[in-house]
Amino acid sequence: MKGLLQGLGVTLKTMTQKKVTYAYPDVPLTMPDRFRGIQHFEPDKCIVCNMCVKVCPTECISLTGKANPDPEKKGKVIETYDINFEICILCDLCTEVCPTEAVVMTNHFELSTYSRDDLFKDMKWLTDNNTLVRKENNYAFPRGGAKKDV
Amino acid sequence: MLDLVGQPLTWTHTLIFAAYGVLLLLIILGFVTYAIYFERKVIGWMQGRYGPNRTGPFGLLQTVADVFKLLIKEDTIPRKADRPLFILAPVITFIPSFVVVATIPFTANLIHADLNVGLLYYVALSGISTIGMILGGWASNNKYALLGGMRSAAQMISYEVPLVISVIGVIMMTGTLNLHKIVEAQGDNFWNWNFLPQIVGFIVFMIAGVSELNRTPFDLPEAESELVAGYHVEYSGFRFAFFMLAEYVYVFAIASLTTVLFLGGWHAPFALLAFIPGIVWFLLKFSIIVFFFFWIRATMPRIRIDQLMGLGWKVLLPLALLNIFITAIYMGITA
Amino acid sequence: MLRTEELLLNVGPQHPSTHGVFRIIVKLDGEIIREAIPVMGYLHRGTEKLAENLTYTQIIPYTDRMDYVSAMTNNYVLVNAVERMMNAQIPERAEYLRVLVMELQRIASHLVWWGTYLLDIGAMSPFLYAFRDREMIIDFFNELCGARLTYNYMRVGGVKWDAPDGWLDKIRVFIPYMRSKLEEYDRLVSGNEIFLARIKGVGKYDAATAIAYGLSGANLRCTGVSWDLRKDQPYSIYERFEFDVPVGQNGDCYDRYLIRLEEIEQSLRIIEQVLDQIPEGDTMAKGLRVIRPPEGDIYAPIESPRGEIGCFIMSKGKTEPYRLKFRRPSFVNLQILPKLLVGETMTNLITILGGIDIVVGEVDC
Repeated sequence: MKGLLQGLGVTLKTMTQKKVTYAYPDVPLTMPDRFRGIQHFEPDKCIVCNMCVKVCPTECISLTGKANPDPEKKGKVIETYDINFEICILCDLCTEVCPTEAVVMTNHFELSTYSRDDLFKDMKWLTDNNTLVRKENNYAFPRGGAKKDV
Repeated sequence: MLDLVGQPLTWTHTLIFAAYGVLLLLIILGFVTYAIYFERKVIGWMQGRYGPNRTGPFGLLQTVADVFKLLIKEDTIPRKADRPLFILAPVITFIPSFVVVATIPFTANLIHADLNVGLLYYVALSGISTIGMILGGWASNNKYALLGGMRSAAQMISYEVPLVISVIGVIMMTGTLNLHKIVEAQGDNFWNWNFLPQIVGFIVFMIAGVSELNRTPFDLPEAESELVAGYHVEYSGFRFAFFMLAEYVYVFAIASLTTVLFLGGWHAPFALLAFIPGIVWFLLKFSIIVFFFFWIRATMPRIRIDQLMGLGWKVLLPLALLNIFITAIYMGITA
Repeated sequence: MLRTEELLLNVGPQHPSTHGVFRIIVKLDGEIIREAIPVMGYLHRGTEKLAENLTYTQIIPYTDRMDYVSAMTNNYVLVNAVERMMNAQIPERAEYLRVLVMELQRIASHLVWWGTYLLDIGAMSPFLYAFRDREMIIDFFNELCGARLTYNYMRVGGVKWDAPDGWLDKIRVFIPYMRSKLEEYDRLVSGNEIFLARIKGVGKYDAATAIAYGLSGANLRCTGVSWDLRKDQPYSIYERFEFDVPVGQNGDCYDRYLIRLEEIEQSLRIIEQVLDQIPEGDTMAKGLRVIRPPEGDIYAPIESPRGEIGCFIMSKGKTEPYRLKFRRPSFVNLQILPKLLVGETMTNLITILGGIDIVVGEVDC
């Protein structure tokens, strides 16, 4: 009997304690800075090095580049950049390998939609997704990542 | 009301009775709606949550919305189910639960049926609900439902016995089966109430009562972690609502019965507080018992079926019998 | 003579108490189980095969999803195996951070077990209490590496992030809080007579059986065998910390319950020592730009909350493994289930299955 009564005491005590739930849809959740949410992409910084495409474990990033329209500069500029959030696992590896921080994480995480098509985010969408961008990037990690041995 | 019952039955009287029945049904539906609401609130608070708070002010309309959802749902009957029995089962379960409320005296004047075998009537009718559960479990043609139905049969029958025997002490002390007279026999002070002289009977009655209600820790027939939902696993929509309704009407009935039998019904705990209307006292005691049920549900794990049987037959039944002997001996000495 | 038949009951894959999509076909005689056939594979994703086409860094997020209740230890078992193959030198601070997050993870994982086990047994509140306290650990991890469940925190050669400012102090505050909650759990559940009646003497086996079935973790220690890889084959820097390995005697569900609760306490002890000793410094080894272990193979086991999790890697000197195999404790521990269930009731099925502590993501991998 003693154990039963003790248990009743615990639940009764908890009844008066502070509630621990979040009022989530009413009050937005604030995530810590390092939170890995939907990526933000800055086309101007991108050097079309294909690192993010190679490192992505689910192959959800696809990009194309074109020659720099300014004939005096070398290299390529980005033309299309798409992330398929149906299969993106937000593992953070693309932002980790990006040498110029062109692709970075934001604190946005609300990905639920009524259509799968909405989950395919193109360059414009990712560029406009420019709020709550993560400040700390590649904190302890050396630049560059593993290359595939194919 | 009671005068009308004594007079010959005319059409007018039939209409009055019908209207009265509907009124009582509405009151009970109101109780069930808010009992579910408060159950979820209380359990929520006990778990560090707020409970329902989205629908209506403070979530007061949550149960209304839930019931409405159940009512407009498609009525599905499994193809291989035994159709007539499947339809009949919720009805058989619900009707006795509502009918037993008739004998409960809420105050000295608010009595629906002053039967001189009130207690017997209650016990006899409440046993019928079990048949509905077995039928539902059998007719669903589902193995989980069958196991749940069988468990409920075993449990209800085993616990009906100590439940009835535990109140015999009260019947001996007051010398009547009439619930109204049982309340009147208890005095105006709380030490005159039955729960003190009949403390063993009271405890046995409470435990057996929780078991009769199929509530935690005795919710084996619907043990959701073992039998998914037990006997009503195949039910949906308003048929499911009837099973739920029956369960909560029994909460109402058992809590009322406990108040009447052991806690002095509408009497105030002290004679000098008697100026407060009896219905307030009744509701207060009643609410405490209902809260106790919720509280237990938030705390206890579920008991196992063999332990349940052992508890019923080896502990509660001997205790209840012992209580009768002690009461008899005491009465023999003092008489 | 009445003709009776055995009832073939299909428990799962959609069943509230199989902890995911696990299925057991039981032959029932009344409520007594005559035979139980577990069917697994509903959550199989082919992690081991997928890994053959992924670089070692890319496999780490996949390990998160194997045992999703204890992703940190899964991260570690992979990077540990790779590091041993490459003989990598890991910075001190990284090792301390690894031990810290793994022990926090062990607490979180045992809390999930505790809550869901009590839910299986029919008590509702412990589940929410456990998740309330686990939420704090999850928030720590969220702050540390930006995710709540799939951390992807460890890397070959160190950890991805150093602790943010003030993070270690928050954990120091968490330790006494968790201790007080452990005491509350004891008051709520451990003395509860109904609960004790449900689990004492249920699902019993002896040490020889446990070893024969290859059990590990609390499932083995409940029989009295003191076998904890943190003590017996120390990896990382575990030999620097003082902690006890709780063992039981009876080999029943009750002993497993006590052992897991005690392990939470021991993990707290380790965390305290980590916080006292943790040095400043780098969190990532230098010179590990391309991870290409030399040709050969290795099996490196560690102690996950569920038992011995091991990673076997066969390398052909490329950036992808030639063959990768995880020894998943949930899968191995589950093998004893059909033996334990014979002669038990339907109710005990849930008690025993819950007591083994499986995560279906890891069983099916």
